[in-house]
Amino acid sequence: MRIKRSLQATALIAAAVLLGLLTVQGTYALWNATATTSPGTVTAAAFDVRMTSTVNSQAFTNMTLPNDKPANLSITTTTLARGQSVFGGVVVTNLVDGTNAFNTKITATKGTIANSALAQNLIIDAKMGSLATDCSTPAGYNTLGTTSLTAANVAQNASAVFCLKITLNADPPQEVKGQTVNVPLTITASQCGASNGC
Amino acid sequence: MKNSTLIKGTAAIAVGAALLLGGGGTLAAWNADASAAPGTIVSGDLNVAAGTGKWTDANSADVTSKIANGTYRIVPGDKLTYTQDLTVTLVGDKLAAKVVLANVPTSSFAADNVSISPLKLTNTAGEVTPTTVLTPVSGSSTQTVTASTVFEFKGSTSARNDVSKSYALGNVSYTLSQVTQAGLTGVTTP
Repeated sequence: MRIKRSLQATALIAAAVLLGLLTVQGTYALWNATATTSPGTVTAAAFDVRMTSTVNSQAFTNMTLPNDKPANLSITTTTLARGQSVFGGVVVTNLVDGTNAFNTKITATKGTIANSALAQNLIIDAKMGSLATDCSTPAGYNTLGTTSLTAANVAQNASAVFCLKITLNADPPQEVKGQTVNVPLTITASQCGASNGC
Repeated sequence: MKNSTLIKGTAAIAVGAALLLGGGGTLAAWNADASAAPGTIVSGDLNVAAGTGKWTDANSADVTSKIANGTYRIVPGDKLTYTQDLTVTLVGDKLAAKVVLANVPTSSFAADNVSISPLKLTNTAGEVTPTTVLTPVSGSSTQTVTASTVFEFKGSTSARNDVSKSYALGNVSYTLSQVTQAGLTGVTTP
């Protein structure tokens, strides 16, 4: 019996020592768990609108250059005789890559023409076309004043065609000989929306 | 008469010797045994798992795959909503926990052009803030917490502002951490 009691006492002492050691090591962290997720990337569309010459389909450019400056497109260059006309135009294409519908309103306005004898003897007419070839057809042109030509609701990958007809007066003064002038057309494209109804 | 006295002394000695032989040298005291089954101690559980996130547009169309493969292009007036269910496991009689978000990146879109709601967490009781204490629910080891955010590209965005810009949400983390409760001893929050 003495032996039995002796053994029991030994076990109790060992447990006490072990617990004591754990206590000395002190604090320990509570449970925690972490989950990581990758929601993805939200990317804005590129607001790309292309201008293409109706005279030369190889002459085209985005309306805005990579440096965010507006582009200039040369439609055609020609020499006019008295009373002669030149026809040309620009095809403006909505190439915005928005995932949801992105219609545009496109307008063409006569730009500022440097004053000269030649400029004063030009008759500038314009019209809207359906195809680039419509610009070569004399019918349908009207004087391009201060009002704009407007193509509303141009859908993605669709185009608006703005045509110009420039005529030199039949009896211009001699001084126009040899002069040159740019006849600009200012193109504006804007997103259709609540504040810009199309 | 003399013979009677002699005979008694001999009988008494014989009884004492017989008892010693039968015990093998020791005398046993009373003892008894009994068994008991104290039971089984089982630890609880704490965990969080993120489900598949989902993106929808203003028309409630699912655009998750397009966001994932990088083909979705947002334009002014677009509004995208992201939702993700978290499965929170809480098992334990004295278990309570809080969940916090981390690593939510800031956007490089101009502040005037976008409205991005902070990624927030909700459950059936309402918003789950960093101070909300979650506890085990009756009858289930898991509960759902939903993460969500709304990205709005404002229709008032003018000119060509923020064209082709991206907002990468990177690796958002949700951390579920146990909090101390009454009855817990010897614990400190690291």
